[in-house]
Amino acid sequence: MILMDKNKMIYNRLLPIALLLLASSSLFAQKVVRYDLYVKDTIVNFSGKDKRAIAVNGQIPMPTLVFTEGDTAEIHVHNQLKETTSLHWHGLQLPNKEDGVPFLTQMPINSNETYVYRFPIIQNGTHWYHSHSGLQEQIGMYGNFVILKINGDPTFRKGIDDLPSVPIVLSEWTDLKPENVHRMLHNASDWFAIKKGTTQSYAEAIKAGHFKTKLKNEWKRMLAMDVSDIYYEKVLINGQNESQLSQFKAGDKVRLRISNGGASTYFWLTYAGGKLTVIASDGNDVEPVEVDRLIIGVSETYDVIVTIPAENTAYEFLATSEDRIKSTSLYLGSGVKQLTSPLPKLKYFEGMKMMNGMMKMNGNLDDMGMNMSLQKMDMNVVMYPEITGEGKKKKNGMIQMKMTEDDYKSNKLSDIVTLNYAMLKALNPTTLPEDAPVKELRFELTGNMNRYVWSLDNKVLSETDKILIKKGENVRIVLYNNSMMRHPMHLHGHDFRVLNGQGEYAPLKNVLDIMPMETDTIEFAANMDGDWFFHCHILYHMMAGMNRVFSYENSQPNPQLANKEWAYNKLQTESNQFHFMAENDFASNGNDGLAMLQNTRWSIGTEWRLGYSNMMGYETETHIGRYIGKMQWFMPFVGFDWRYRKFGIDEQETNLFSQTNSKDNRNLVSVGFNFTLPMLIVFQTEVFHNGDVRLQLMREDIPISKRVRAGFMLNTDKEFMVDLRYIVNKNIGIRTHYDSDMGFGLGLSLNY
Amino acid sequence: MVIQKGFYKKMLSIATKSNNNLKFLKMKQIKNTLLLFMALVSITISSCAAQIKNAKTETVKIYGNCGMCETTIENSGNLKKVAEVDWNKDSKMATLTYDTTKTNQTAIVKRIALAGYDSDQFLAPDDVYARLPECCRYDRVNKSAMVQNEIVETHATQNSPTTSEKKQEVNQLKAIFDNYFSLKDALVKSNQKLATSIAKDLLSNINEVKMEKLSADEHTVWMKVMSGLKSSTNLISTSKNLEKQRNAFMDLSANIYDLMKVSKQDSPIYYQHCPMYNDGKGANWLSKENAIKNPYYGSQMLTCGKTVETIK
Repeated sequence: MILMDKNKMIYNRLLPIALLLLASSSLFAQKVVRYDLYVKDTIVNFSGKDKRAIAVNGQIPMPTLVFTEGDTAEIHVHNQLKETTSLHWHGLQLPNKEDGVPFLTQMPINSNETYVYRFPIIQNGTHWYHSHSGLQEQIGMYGNFVILKINGDPTFRKGIDDLPSVPIVLSEWTDLKPENVHRMLHNASDWFAIKKGTTQSYAEAIKAGHFKTKLKNEWKRMLAMDVSDIYYEKVLINGQNESQLSQFKAGDKVRLRISNGGASTYFWLTYAGGKLTVIASDGNDVEPVEVDRLIIGVSETYDVIVTIPAENTAYEFLATSEDRIKSTSLYLGSGVKQLTSPLPKLKYFEGMKMMNGMMKMNGNLDDMGMNMSLQKMDMNVVMYPEITGEGKKKKNGMIQMKMTEDDYKSNKLSDIVTLNYAMLKALNPTTLPEDAPVKELRFELTGNMNRYVWSLDNKVLSETDKILIKKGENVRIVLYNNSMMRHPMHLHGHDFRVLNGQGEYAPLKNVLDIMPMETDTIEFAANMDGDWFFHCHILYHMMAGMNRVFSYENSQPNPQLANKEWAYNKLQTESNQFHFMAENDFASNGNDGLAMLQNTRWSIGTEWRLGYSNMMGYETETHIGRYIGKMQWFMPFVGFDWRYRKFGIDEQETNLFSQTNSKDNRNLVSVGFNFTLPMLIVFQTEVFHNGDVRLQLMREDIPISKRVRAGFMLNTDKEFMVDLRYIVNKNIGIRTHYDSDMGFGLGLSLNY
Repeated sequence: MVIQKGFYKKMLSIATKSNNNLKFLKMKQIKNTLLLFMALVSITISSCAAQIKNAKTETVKIYGNCGMCETTIENSGNLKKVAEVDWNKDSKMATLTYDTTKTNQTAIVKRIALAGYDSDQFLAPDDVYARLPECCRYDRVNKSAMVQNEIVETHATQNSPTTSEKKQEVNQLKAIFDNYFSLKDALVKSNQKLATSIAKDLLSNINEVKMEKLSADEHTVWMKVMSGLKSSTNLISTSKNLEKQRNAFMDLSANIYDLMKVSKQDSPIYYQHCPMYNDGKGANWLSKENAIKNPYYGSQMLTCGKTVETIK
């Protein structure tokens, strides 16, 4: 509704005002700056379909909030939604109770309630803010938060801080409800891969000459990997896919204050008008460094300066999602639009081959003796055609050389200069108090792609207590990423030094992007009070439990939270929810389906095969199991199996163990376990209370081609099944299968 | 097919074991079911006739030259069931027919620009334009010249002090060696275009060498290698094929090696060997750094090779 005019709203009214504010030196003396934010449901249309989103003051992104260092911020949040909400001020150092994390620093803001955040602004730079309730961040609750330097600030840089600046927040849009996206991720749905064209099925592997690569990948029990998990219909700059700022002329320099407000997407930033000069990261100034491109991690901020090289031309500032599937452009200037080369599609099978080399059979990563840190090496470079060339190179019978570190360093392999953390240097020394005691912590980032379990040290938040720290200590954290994806680790309430070889001038950040197999060290002075969240900022990883809480000993009680233990419990439950999935094949030979409820460690599932007559028979088995281990290949369970069949087509007297075969008439309780074998075949052993034993091998969803899946099952009761399914859309498939008890069938397969 | 028959046999054997309805398992039934499955699948896959609905037709100017351009312009602009482009190479006008509910003129024209063809709305990315075949490189009338900007020094960057030394007598061969190293770097980066342009500089430097001014040893070697140097460099400067350039680089390196052996160097030069190139016969090159960066394979096998000699 109002959003349909937001085009006009932002670019004709709001942004010029914001720009005016930012360009002039601070006219505002230290004082209370008040903003009123009205949070309301709205309808948006980004992809041709009307969908629900959340707008604040009638706009997406949320209004840009501007302050000057020294102001007192007073933000009145009027919650006009039917659900609770909250706002977190990303990167801000403030009293714990203003931090905006429901059940950790406050109670959620109820529907029809107004809540006031009030805190002094004691820093400057480019920041952003977003909802910290559920998945609201995905559907519109993100916005720019800019803090200007005070008049006379000694760190004011001529030629940098006096340039016109444009606050930009990057984000994504999916037509699916984020709760559904979250559920589909936990159910290992490959619908997103189909939408993106990244299924990497056997047919595609054969076509690309990578059949052996795919085989080896499944042998190591991996599912096809991608740099990102979700398909987004659009990616946006300030809520628009394509937009323009025509006020810039040839010779102008512009400062872009860029925040990545995406829920899960890293963006490559490139510019048609030449190089990008990076001058700040996460709201902290750095020595200017000129690059051709940089990747901005989820929730990071970067300030870059670009120039307008020629007259009558608008230059494209391009943000491309890391998976290269979508991009968004902002044109600076007026006139004909000068485009920059889009980033080419990734070479997925090269990536798969690289992963095969890096993954050990037990699920741990093998860095092959290479020392990785600070984004200096990028294993994914094997997939970037712009750095390592197109397509599969002919080997000419060469012996495979051992890959060394240089083979993965973009800046050594090509002329394109890519930013990495080692290139950031603070303007002034950032060393921590020398005589303070040091508390050293170590975290291993762990994750299980197959079950979408993301954790630290293989424990999710609900399995750990708060980590105690003391005011006055220096906390040093060593992070090692033992998972296959990169993670942007964010600490609330503090900036930390990134130990990157710049010695005393280590840059200050509050988000650290850590790539697979990297080891990074960060440190901060513990000088606050209260409970501070430390988590992976990929929204869906955070909701899967990849979090911790740092808690200051002897903190002041928080007036918002009367019962801290109860609150922490609620926080923990939020990120360990049960997810439901169900499928049923309405086939000519019966109903074949399953339903499952599962969370991080538990699984409750029922399978059924219900025929249309006694002769076809009816079967149902239920298993309640618990996943063991980091890779969760092992799941012991208790179960219940009920069957009835009269004069079935495949009567068997005995099972393979010469016991009486009860497969046609069974009413038994059991214990057993599942184990995932190489090639992702699930081996199941079940012992029934009457002493019968059943062993079973099963594999579902073998990716034959982009939309065709195959499966099979066979067991010691002499039953077997094979099936073929064609995926029509997210919820529907056409399936044909042969079951030794139910015969041949063709049907419509529906899944949720 | 064999698979089908085998499958059938197995099922038949199961069927005979069971005391029941053979009718489930007759080949005909299976074939029918499979056929039905395929039919349903293909109905789902097949789209209705590739007609564009809600069509609107517009004309827009696209800059281009020849018939090859026409193919690229049309292929990049077309999108099944969404947009169709018909470009006339004489009038330079493209007729766009598109589904107004699914796209607009801007999106189509942007796609064409990303393929290398300017319009009044969009300028193609420079590197894409540069990769167009020679005949297709139309005049970029819409591209404005860059303005001359005074480079404003920021606080952080330091001014390097300008030295006002007297220009020393530079060894003539130094220019050639510098060119050689730049050429080597370009080949490491697999940059054929850069290699071409550096080779051009190298060739002109070679032609400018005054043999009388060389030292005795240098003179002797120069007499020996001069023509070989010229022909390899010429090949590299005129070739558009990276592999041919690399091939010529082998001879060039051998000649430069001879020169370097007799010419005084300020810093050590590393003579490096790749055992695989040239069908396993191996090839050499010279580098100012000891770290191996292979110019014959570039990023394919960057670190293949080792230093076999250091020239001081």
